[in-house]
Amino acid sequence: MTWDEILRFSRGPLFNAALLVFIAGMAYRLISILLLGWGRDRVPAMGSKAAGVVKSYLKGILIWPFIPWVKGTFARNPIMYIAGGLFHLGLLATIILGTPHMLVWKSLLGFGWPTLPLPIIDWLAAVAIVAMLALFINRLVNPVLQLITGPAEWVNWWIVFLPMVSGYIMTHHLFFSYEVLFSLHMLAVDLLLIWIPFSRISHFVFYFFSRTVHGVEFGKRGVTP
Amino acid sequence: MSTELALNTFVKETGGWVASQLEACTRCGMCADACHFYQATDKPEYSPVWKFEPLRRAYEQRFTFAGRLKLALGLDRAVSNDDLATWSEIDYTACTLCNRCSMVCPMGIDLGPIIHGVRIGLSAAGMVPADLLDATQKQVDVGSPLGVDDDAWESRIEWVSDDWEVDIPVDVQGADTMVVFTSIEIMKFPDNIAAIAKIMNASGESWTVSSKGREVVNFGLFEGDMDKTRLFLKRVFDAAVELGVKHIMVTECGHAYEALRWTAPNIMDVPDGIDVTHIAGKMGEFLSTGRIKLRPGAFDTGTLTFHDACKIQRKGGHIQEPRQILNVLAPNAFKEMSPNMEQGICCGGGGGTISISDADENRFAAFELKIDQMNKVGATDVAMVCSNCRLQFVDGVQHFGVDVKVHGLSQMVADALVVEEKTS
Repeated sequence: MTWDEILRFSRGPLFNAALLVFIAGMAYRLISILLLGWGRDRVPAMGSKAAGVVKSYLKGILIWPFIPWVKGTFARNPIMYIAGGLFHLGLLATIILGTPHMLVWKSLLGFGWPTLPLPIIDWLAAVAIVAMLALFINRLVNPVLQLITGPAEWVNWWIVFLPMVSGYIMTHHLFFSYEVLFSLHMLAVDLLLIWIPFSRISHFVFYFFSRTVHGVEFGKRGVTP
Repeated sequence: MSTELALNTFVKETGGWVASQLEACTRCGMCADACHFYQATDKPEYSPVWKFEPLRRAYEQRFTFAGRLKLALGLDRAVSNDDLATWSEIDYTACTLCNRCSMVCPMGIDLGPIIHGVRIGLSAAGMVPADLLDATQKQVDVGSPLGVDDDAWESRIEWVSDDWEVDIPVDVQGADTMVVFTSIEIMKFPDNIAAIAKIMNASGESWTVSSKGREVVNFGLFEGDMDKTRLFLKRVFDAAVELGVKHIMVTECGHAYEALRWTAPNIMDVPDGIDVTHIAGKMGEFLSTGRIKLRPGAFDTGTLTFHDACKIQRKGGHIQEPRQILNVLAPNAFKEMSPNMEQGICCGGGGGTISISDADENRFAAFELKIDQMNKVGATDVAMVCSNCRLQFVDGVQHFGVDVKVHGLSQMVADALVVEEKTS
């Protein structure tokens, strides 16, 4: 098998299969959560649940999920706030606003959107990669993270890191030929897509559940979430 | 055997609300930095995410493919008897269910109720600290975790009424509001009872206490025994129905408000047409509608600060009313601690910890954060609207020899009441 063939396979059938596993897997996860049963909240509200939900999202998504809202917490774990925030910013910017990625979205969705110039995306990607390394070290040294980190967390880290680092090397044409790097990048992406439904990387979906619950619970009490 | 009971309970407790939030957790550990017990002790086991670990394992291994796979591959462990003992210590002695962690969680997970879910499982397995269990049993048997029986209650109410010269209506059929006190107030802060009675009388509210629904605290909720929780709630609701009142007013008690106001409708049938209010909200309402008048600046000496109770402010919503009152009573002396309001740091004595002797060390360690906060504003006085916090503060300032006077806000309001002379 030549690298050319591997590339064609990882971009074509494997990518499609991975997408299928991703979509089917996440649909399964979502449906099984929804089928667990949701008791109706019969507590009379004191404040507005809707306002609570809006504030919860404003805090969590529109500005930046990792802003240290609660006084005094940032200084205790600054790496998590800074690196965690920068990682998500860099990652989302790259996969949504990077031109090559937008073209993939366009081929899947049928429409595209304006993208950021390559140098900016490049810097954002570099920032995300450095942030991931910082998070890796933080997981090793922070006592709470030492306790709650198991094999699954390390596997997740690698599976997210590989597409990022291979993509970065590819855009800079370092070390290997373009076909090799592109193939490795695609294989890593395929692995990520397949792995997401089995792992906590899927948190980007359940985020919308917990954010909503949070907003409802605080909003109904008339308290800023 | 007991593990089985805990696991079954965990599974039963895992509805979509809980499961979707467990799935959202990325194990980032940021919740630890909001937890007063972790901050005070630096024990990673006290981080909020770790507190619901048994529930997470039970959920994943029972409901998810990945969880079963991890278990089969030996990457995760099933919950054992030893685990239950470990988490009994963690969840009962190092958590006040104050829910501050939920504010710092980037995913917005409502951790407090999930940790309470672990207590529900531990309680089913009989893994509750003995002194908490005793207190709950006492509430089942005699109606009060402090052992106040009918006769003791009656004589205390009479005594307060005589000594403070205040009218306390008992069992008045058809009153608008039924006021329910806590045993802590009955036994340790009788001045609170007199104060609340004075405020109610001054406001012109038609009110009564009930000799049947005479205990507002709910040790069943602390323990996580939902049958007992319902039993204690039912006693109060039944008394309210019998007297035909429209409102139940919780006095200076945090978790009782949580139980009656925010928990009861979702765990049992509550009587129609009876709402639940809290003295903090009621005082604010009386003041802004002019039903009570306060002497401005009545406590305007030294530096007065306000402690936000987790169940009344962050989880109860009565954040502004106490401030509105304090700005009248102490316009210059009142200074805010930081962080405060919905971000306020818990006193460390809630969630039942104050009745668990094994929690004393953690409780005092956490209280040191409060001392720091008070010192930073140079507080000479501190006010609050929760008797459980107040007990912890009285105990804490004595333990550490801190020179700060501890007040219940109702008492300050009662002392500053401007009573218009009635012509007889």
